[in-house]
Formats: sequence, structure tokens, C-alpha cells
Amino acid sequence: MTKSIMGKRCTITLANRGGRSYAVDGDAPLLDTLEKHGVPLPYGCRYGGCITCAAKLLDGAVDQSAGVALNGRQLKHGYVLLCVALPLGDCTLDVGVESHDNLYRNPFQSPLAPEELKAGIRAEAHPVETPR
Amino acid sequence: MTNNGDMECCGPGYASPAEAMRAPREKLLYTVALYVGTGIHKPDYLATIDADPESPTYSQVISRLEMPGIGDELHHMGWNACSSCHGDPTKERRYLIVPGVRSSNLHIVDCVTDPRKPTLHKVIEGAEIKAKTNLSAPHTVHCLGSDIIISMLGDAKGEAPGGFLHLNEDFEIIGRWENGLGAMKFNYDFWYQPRHNVMVSSEWAAPNTFLPGFDLEEVGHLKYGREIHFWNFEKKCVEHSHYLGEDGLVPLEVRFHHDPDSSHGFVGAALSSNIIHWYKNDGEWIIEKVIDVENERHPEWPIPLPGLISVILLSMDDRFLYFSNWLHGDLRQYDISNPSKPKLVGQVWMGGLLGKAPEVNGHKVTGGPQMIQLSLDGKRLYVTTSLLSTWDNQFYPEIRENGGCMMMVDCDPVNGGMSINPDFFVDFGKEPNGPARCHETRYPGGDCTSDIWI
Repeated sequence: MTKSIMGKRCTITLANRGGRSYAVDGDAPLLDTLEKHGVPLPYGCRYGGCITCAAKLLDGAVDQSAGVALNGRQLKHGYVLLCVALPLGDCTLDVGVESHDNLYRNPFQSPLAPEELKAGIRAEAHPVETPR
Repeated sequence: MTNNGDMECCGPGYASPAEAMRAPREKLLYTVALYVGTGIHKPDYLATIDADPESPTYSQVISRLEMPGIGDELHHMGWNACSSCHGDPTKERRYLIVPGVRSSNLHIVDCVTDPRKPTLHKVIEGAEIKAKTNLSAPHTVHCLGSDIIISMLGDAKGEAPGGFLHLNEDFEIIGRWENGLGAMKFNYDFWYQPRHNVMVSSEWAAPNTFLPGFDLEEVGHLKYGREIHFWNFEKKCVEHSHYLGEDGLVPLEVRFHHDPDSSHGFVGAALSSNIIHWYKNDGEWIIEKVIDVENERHPEWPIPLPGLISVILLSMDDRFLYFSNWLHGDLRQYDISNPSKPKLVGQVWMGGLLGKAPEVNGHKVTGGPQMIQLSLDGKRLYVTTSLLSTWDNQFYPEIRENGGCMMMVDCDPVNGGMSINPDFFVDFGKEPNGPARCHETRYPGGDCTSDIWI
């Protein structure tokens, strides 16, 4: 994925926060820059290893290559980890747990297809064993 | 000093498990309560619950100690001192160490100045721990005489295998406790039994694997643990790693007998839903599966549902083993007088995904039986329903609106048998800041998963 451009200003619109917009620097994670604007957002690890801060990207693009926690299905639904996501231009997001309608699934009810695993696992060899 | 009975010469805890069983009944409970993952922008907190049936506020949260920031995910916790320091009159069971598994912050909470309203004594920032030790995601806390060690489930980037953080009694970071991890791939819980110079540790997964939630498919990719590790406790290194394989997928809580002379111990393999037992015979560790909970078919789901044994504990007299099947919804009590042949003697249902007990004594239960804590006399088992915020959200999404709850199960410590107490129910769905989730519980006077005798 393309790296963000140093010093580039982006407009971030939070669709489920009344469509409010914030001008942010493109070289810092969205969680940091939105917090500086006083937007209360959930977070946990702050390094891309958990999904507490997940938001749904409705429009635009981010570089979240520092994150490791999202699986392929979550990415397909547009989830991004705000604690590592650098905006690559103007973005529109739904934030907070209200955006988490497709973030969680019961794995016994709805298993992942091989291409829906986390990228780090897809890059590795085939499964050693099938869970019973 | 508290809870030292009439033995003024002595330090915290009790001279023996038998003495612990004769201690006064617990009147207060400390339970962690979560807002992380709920959408409520408030810190997690330590809740103090009145457990004195004679009190007008019995079965209620009587104080709440908020952590300084949001997003910690308070999870497990432990005392600064336990019966392992009983011989040292300069020691006191005063502080609870309350880690945040997501933030890696360690909160040191003073529970003695006012036991009904604990206060924050000190915070060790996760950033300091990562910088000094390259460790993150604190889990189990045990004191070792004067010092404290904490199992850390990841390195500073959340990758396995983690290691063990060593603190001194003033809660300063000494560094890493272990000298050698051997072939250990993951970390989770541990318990030590010094008279056998042994510690056993278990394996969950890397924080980057389990914190986002449970992708079952990752088990087949060896992202979850299936081994237990026998340590040379004095040398602080893994001496032997035992591969449990399919019978031991995701081995979590480790419990040795409280009797310090015994070499018997147990671990619950969460995903395989088996109990594994070990003991030493002629200098050799024997390891055997002694309980197997069958998976259940859910009519609409393609994959059979395991019980998911999320926690186990032993009564103080080492006679009963308790565990919870968080997904099935039952709590079980086994007589382990013969540790190789446990006998099921009690079972109750609360919540769960099989629809067997959506309500208990008129209360709606969201989640399933999860963390358990037994009174020292073995008669009261306190149960909470939340596992980890992301896992709760996967399996019991309605917990966001309903919150978790705490129940009490009356246990017969003579003949076996369990029944859910109708008078005790703490509804964390009705907390002042909105529905919270409750997790591990500890008592001021020590409990069945804190105290170790050396």
C-alpha cells in the first residue's frame, strides 16, 4: 500500500457522528489526530494488535499496514484500525462500537474461508491440522 | 494487619490449607468490571461487592475504583503477598496487582486502608514495561515470597512467546524473571510447587492472535497453544515441554494441589474441553487426560460447539475440582479424591449458547459461567459471565446491552452437590455508567486461587 505523504492535510468525516469533519495531518494515526480534536474514541492496545478501535471506512483510503489484528472478512467489510491507520486522502468513517455490526462473528456458526484469514496466516503454509 | 487470626508473630495468609479453611467467611469481594469494547467511554474499574448476608447492602456493588485511563481490559489480578509469606511478619496482604491485558498497565490497588473502598496506590505504565523488558499483555500474578512475578503473554509488539515480568515488593521492575523459555511457544497461566522445585505454565496464544477475538481456523495454523511446560523453579528455566496435541488444545488455568507436599496438578484445555492431570512418579512426570467434555451440536451451526473450559479451580482441601463450560453454560464439580478418576458430583446451568438456562432464579443471564472463585471453606462459589471483551462480543453480543452478572453457587463440601443461591445476584447491567462486564474475583483474606504454601 502507498505510504502517506508527510505533512499532507486530510479531511476526515465521521458519518455516524453527525457528519462532523476534522482536518488532520496525514502522517499520524487517525486515533491520535482525532483525539487531538477532542473526539472520544475507543481503543485498547494502540499498536494495531487488537480491534477495540476498529472503525468502518465508508469512503477514501488508509495505510494500515502496521496493523495485524483484522482478518480478511473484517477487511472486506471495510474495517480499519484507527490506532495505526494513516489517511491517504480525505476519508469518511463510521466510528465506535456502533460501526461494529460486522466486526464480530461466532466462528462455530460462521467459519472463515481460507482467503478470509488474517494476511499473516494466508502468507504462511497450508494448515497443519483441521480443527475438529 | 488483616486476616492473621491470632498468630501475631506471622505474616499474611495461613499456616496451612487446613488453617485457611477455618478462616472467617469472606464479607467483601473484589471483581474487575469492564467498559472496554462496550461503547461506553469510561475506564474499567475494580468493583467491591458486599458479600455479608447480614449487611443491608448484601449482593450489591458498594464502591468502584476507576482506572486512570480507558481501554485497559482489566482481566486477572493477584495479591502482593499470600500464604507463601506466612512466615514473614514484615509482609502484609495489602495490594492487589490489577493488570490491563490490552494496555499492559499494572495498577497497584491498596485494599487495606479502607477495604470497602480500595484506592489506587501506583501505576506501572505499559510503555515502561515494554521498554525495560520487551514484554506486554500481563496475565497471571503470583507472589514469590517477597517478590512478584507476572506471566506476560507477548513481546512489546504483541507476538509470542512473551515471558515473565519480575517486580520487587515495592513494585519496581526488576526485569525478566526467567532464565530460559526452552521450547515454549506461548504463555498464559502458571502455578508453582516449591517442595518439588517445579512450576507449570500453560499456553493461550500471542496477544495479536487472541486480543482481536477467536478465529477458530487459526488453531489449525498452530496459532494457539497445545503444550504445557514443567520448569525447574530454582533455575527459572523450562526443563520439559509436554505436547498435549488434540487432547490439549489451548491449555489455560494451571492448579497444583494446595497441599505443598503433593505433586498432583491439573490444567483445563479450553478448546478440547478436557481436564489434564499430572503427578510425579519415581521422579518422572505422568500426564493423563482425566475428564473429556463432549462437544454439542447446535442445530443451525456447521461446527460442533465445545464446552470451552475457560477456568478450573481446586477446593482448599484438594478434594473437589470445579470448572466452567463457558459456551455450553454449565458449571461442574468433580470429586478428585482419586485425582486419576474424577467423579462428577455437581452440575448447574446458567446462560450459555445451548439455551438450557437463559434465566436463573428470575434473572436473565447473558454470557455463560466463566471466572469462578471458591470460598476458603469450600461452600460458596462466586461466578461471573464475561470472558474477554472481544470474545464476549463474538459469542454473546447481547452482553453489550445487558452487561454481565455475578452469581453464587452453594456447594456441599462433604457429599458434593451444587445449587445456585436464590438470594445473591449482582447485575452489572445496572451499573451507574451503563452495562459493564465482570470478570475475576478475589477476597481480602485470600482465596482458592491465590495462596501457595512453600
